[in-house]
Amino acid sequence: MSTLVQILSPDFLLRDALVGSVLVGLVCPLVGVYFVLRRMIFLGVALPQLSAAGIAFSFLAYRVFVGPHEHGGLSERALGMFGSFGFTLAGIVVLSFFERAGRETVEARIGVTYAVAAALTILFLAADPHGDAQMVNLLKGDILATTSASLDVLTAVLGAVVLVLFAFRKEFLLVSFDRDLAVVFGKNAGLWDLLLYLAIGVTISLGVTTAGPLVTFGFLVVPPLTARLVTRHMLAFSLTAAALGAASAFAGFYLAFRFDLPLGPAEVAFASLVLLVVGTGRALRNAMRRVPAA
Amino acid sequence: MPDVLLALEDVTLGYDSRPVLQHLTFTVERGEFLALLGPNGAGKTTLLRGVLGLIPVLAGRVTYGFDRQASPPGYVPQRDALDPIFPLSAHEVVLMGTYARLGPLRATGRVQKRRAAAALDQVGLASIAHEPFWSLSGGQKQRVLIGRALAAEPLLLVLDEPTAGVDPGAAAAIMDVIMRLNRDDGLTVVLVTHQLRLARPLVRSVIWVDDGGATKGPTDVMLSPERIIDVFGALAAGG
Repeated sequence: MSTLVQILSPDFLLRDALVGSVLVGLVCPLVGVYFVLRRMIFLGVALPQLSAAGIAFSFLAYRVFVGPHEHGGLSERALGMFGSFGFTLAGIVVLSFFERAGRETVEARIGVTYAVAAALTILFLAADPHGDAQMVNLLKGDILATTSASLDVLTAVLGAVVLVLFAFRKEFLLVSFDRDLAVVFGKNAGLWDLLLYLAIGVTISLGVTTAGPLVTFGFLVVPPLTARLVTRHMLAFSLTAAALGAASAFAGFYLAFRFDLPLGPAEVAFASLVLLVVGTGRALRNAMRRVPAA
Repeated sequence: MPDVLLALEDVTLGYDSRPVLQHLTFTVERGEFLALLGPNGAGKTTLLRGVLGLIPVLAGRVTYGFDRQASPPGYVPQRDALDPIFPLSAHEVVLMGTYARLGPLRATGRVQKRRAAAALDQVGLASIAHEPFWSLSGGQKQRVLIGRALAAEPLLLVLDEPTAGVDPGAAAAIMDVIMRLNRDDGLTVVLVTHQLRLARPLVRSVIWVDDGGATKGPTDVMLSPERIIDVFGALAAGG
């Protein structure tokens, strides 16, 4: 109890990190519901890796064309964010183009993307040994290093993503559920897809530079999968996924702080535990319903 | 002169610049009930998608006798084209039809919800409005999709094999709904179907799609026993 009081105190030393964690836990699932509904879950693995490659590339490009960069500052985070966003968005656009063209299988496209992104990340890091240590920290997602300035950026950008997702939810639902109908209705389906991808790209980039690829992937996928098991309407699905993500981030933070565990894995493990419990409960309930009354 | 709702003039349709159907010239009149028939793979769905603007017209011209922006066609896809993973009730699916007339940043309000409820009532499914869409039977799903098309308040209703894969009773109920919409509400209907026996007594004209082209004519001529035997064999003519 005293740990909880300490964490909730306004003077808590890691307050920015806590708020950053909860923000990522809140917004990633809102984007993740479209990954689940569009059956793009494995893209949730490939895109954070692509984002990591973008971070490594931005540092390498800066060193080659401008000069050595200052480590640990907000400018470094902004540089990483820029590279991450560029690679993520380009990846989504290219993958969706191939999806529309219907070439190869989804698994093949995502598998190749993951392999290429992982290889590029290592190659970019190898070519920029000066920034290696700091970049590794950034790629791991050093959320404990969140500052009030970076928290302001995170709040503003993720706030904008939430606004876009809710303001245009009927358009995003229509192009996701029945793209042909959207076209028949004269909607610019390509434009709505692009706006959704933009929101996904921004969220993944910020998630990866704030919390790392593991946490980002975990929160993109696990809370929406849990919410899908317990909701029957779209709005309830989105809100439940976001609430589960934020609660898991908070609980994971508490456990990491209380038992001195690594933060990201603690958050994802807690969210996964919730999925396991809800999934098991649902399976048991279904099994009991199938048993005929004596 | 008849009131033409849709006109194709020497149209070529296909994919990746490869023509599937060529030299298509016909009109659809207001209030008409028209079936697109033909063997599997002949290009019926290609023609349907071309009429709806879902694939580009490679040559020729498609013109509409109505404002497509103000009153887009009601489109009923095959229900299997829609993913059951979406957590939507029957009412929410039908509500999507009202998006046709709603711009960005305009939320669905009481007017749209009333319109959706009325459309669901038109297809006889008001009682299952709050049931999950994925839990409905094939025939009910198809009628919900017809309701969604009606919620757009269309002048032209286009259906892609609405009775495919449903039991005979459900197929008859679906055809009954479509027939009433045409007869009582004057809605122009174009449907792709394989079920000649169900369609024959209802449709007034037929477009026969085969050999890279399409021919339109009255039902009794296009579905004469001689023609059916010619295309499908004696068994089909008997059924």
